[in-house]
Amino acid sequence: MECRVLSIQSHVVRGYVGNKSASFPLQVLGFEVDSINSVQFSNHTGYSHWKGQVLTADELHVLYEGIKLNNVHQYDYVLTGYTRDTSFLEMVVDIVQELKRANPNLVYVCDPVLGDHGSMYVPQNLYPVYKNKVVPVADIITPNQFEAETRANNLISLTDSLLGDRFLVSLGSQRQVRPDGSRATQRVRIEVPKVDAVFVGTGDLFAAMLLAWTHHYPNDLKMACEKTFSVMHHVIQRTISYAHELAGPGRRPSPPQLELRMVQSKADIEDPAIVTEATVIS
Amino acid sequence: PEEKCRVLSIQSHVVRGYVGNKSATFPLQVLGFEVDSINSVQFSNHTGYAHWKGQVLTADELNVLYEGIKLNKVNHYDYILTGYSRDTSFLETVVDIIQELKKANPSLVYVCDPVMGDHGAMYVPENLLPVYRDKVVPLADILTPNQFEAELLTGRKVNTQEDAFEVMDLLHKMGPETVVLTSSDLPSKKGDQFLVALGSQKIVKPDGSKTSQKICMDIPKVDAVFVGTGDLFAAMLLAWTHHHPKDLKAACEKTVSVMHHVIKRTITYANEMAGPGKRPSPAQLELRMVQSKADIENPAIVVEAKVLHKSSQ
Repeated sequence: MECRVLSIQSHVVRGYVGNKSASFPLQVLGFEVDSINSVQFSNHTGYSHWKGQVLTADELHVLYEGIKLNNVHQYDYVLTGYTRDTSFLEMVVDIVQELKRANPNLVYVCDPVLGDHGSMYVPQNLYPVYKNKVVPVADIITPNQFEAETRANNLISLTDSLLGDRFLVSLGSQRQVRPDGSRATQRVRIEVPKVDAVFVGTGDLFAAMLLAWTHHYPNDLKMACEKTFSVMHHVIQRTISYAHELAGPGRRPSPPQLELRMVQSKADIEDPAIVTEATVIS
Repeated sequence: PEEKCRVLSIQSHVVRGYVGNKSATFPLQVLGFEVDSINSVQFSNHTGYAHWKGQVLTADELNVLYEGIKLNKVNHYDYILTGYSRDTSFLETVVDIIQELKKANPSLVYVCDPVMGDHGAMYVPENLLPVYRDKVVPLADILTPNQFEAELLTGRKVNTQEDAFEVMDLLHKMGPETVVLTSSDLPSKKGDQFLVALGSQKIVKPDGSKTSQKICMDIPKVDAVFVGTGDLFAAMLLAWTHHHPKDLKAACEKTVSVMHHVIKRTITYANEMAGPGKRPSPAQLELRMVQSKADIENPAIVVEAKVLHKSSQ
């Protein structure tokens, strides 16, 4: 498989968010990952302390120029996630547009990170950039409910899980062209067990794994979702078990203890046992 | 490996390709090591391409990143790994960090590739030599110089295998208990299609006396210029000495075998991409790292290391 991804995300010295979360699993699955680190921080911002440096839009452009001057700016996928800066995001859009011109089959996987649970955790002025410039060039997007509502400007009614309140519901939708040329939309619904902890980097892992599994199942969103959600489950279970071991009985694990058990989950990443079934709705 | 396997690697990052941290991280992670990585630079690609662009980390910025780790009280490492550096103040900050980490964990193992040059010429600023010789190497536990770097550090030329042994013993006296001469000009008994690599490890015998085990390997030469292979070598030597801490022969056989598989896969692919009669480009010669996962995990042994005479220290 000769498949090259350009991933523009954060780098943390310790732990698994951004490019640290996305690169290893994609490489383990055989993807070539070129990574531009939008920041370099000691660790993610959920710890008590964090320190580091950010990449400016100009510096991003300079790195891309280097790739272009060597004539190696051919990518099959672009992957982006958390950004705090409108000019950086706009530079990303320019790069994606140019890469799509170089390869019209390029697939842009975009996690439009804006916020969660009803509130934004990035500057508000990112919202129009995502809505008007980023999402229109995306091929696969992975919003949470809040991000989707923000984009669509209307409320999505809360869907209760039939399995009870220990589960959350995820929905997927894929537009396809049938062999006869007519269009169809496949919608899937998947129920995922909730875990009582705050994980960081799971959204980044999700987007990376959705990239990988939609690559292998480009016309079968049900299958791609089942694999992606199953990987997430295995990594999260391994992580929470280990975190509780480290924290000790009756104690809530700390952010360092809750770092994803990524390298320990290599076998699950390579070949995830399916633990959840997606239902095709239409 | 579960316990005692957190590595701090301070090396370059390239967007595309495999040098520095890009070369070291994936293979170590595949072998189960937790790798914390500080990127000393971020460049588009390595400097062997026609063009390269990017940004460097200053010594102050390195300190700031380390401070973040320290403030969270997660500055505990089992290994440190360093490679190519162009800056004396950066290197001196690295030394300070290592000293502090060794105080936090006296069992920490520092694997150091003292990158300064090759084939008789330096390709870093000359003022790095005294920093390596006087400050870095004394802290190192495992050192992977090539012949030229070993000569620079000890001030002695290597013309024969005996010279090489003396130079490695001098390096032991300077600090590291394990020294691997990753390449040399010494003639191989297998002919001129092979290069000679040597290793030396200080060991304490059951009766308490000290000695050193010296090994020799004949490595097939490949007619191409690879970049990032030294970084992969140091990372894999870290991994395999972790599994074989008192058996340098086994550790080196695994390390050199991994190198062989990755390089063969790379040169085959590069020649395919270049086409018949054409020399592959730097882009085409990038190591086939992700494609070599199985070889990294479980390298078939293709080189035998010979144990040479043991000498008392």
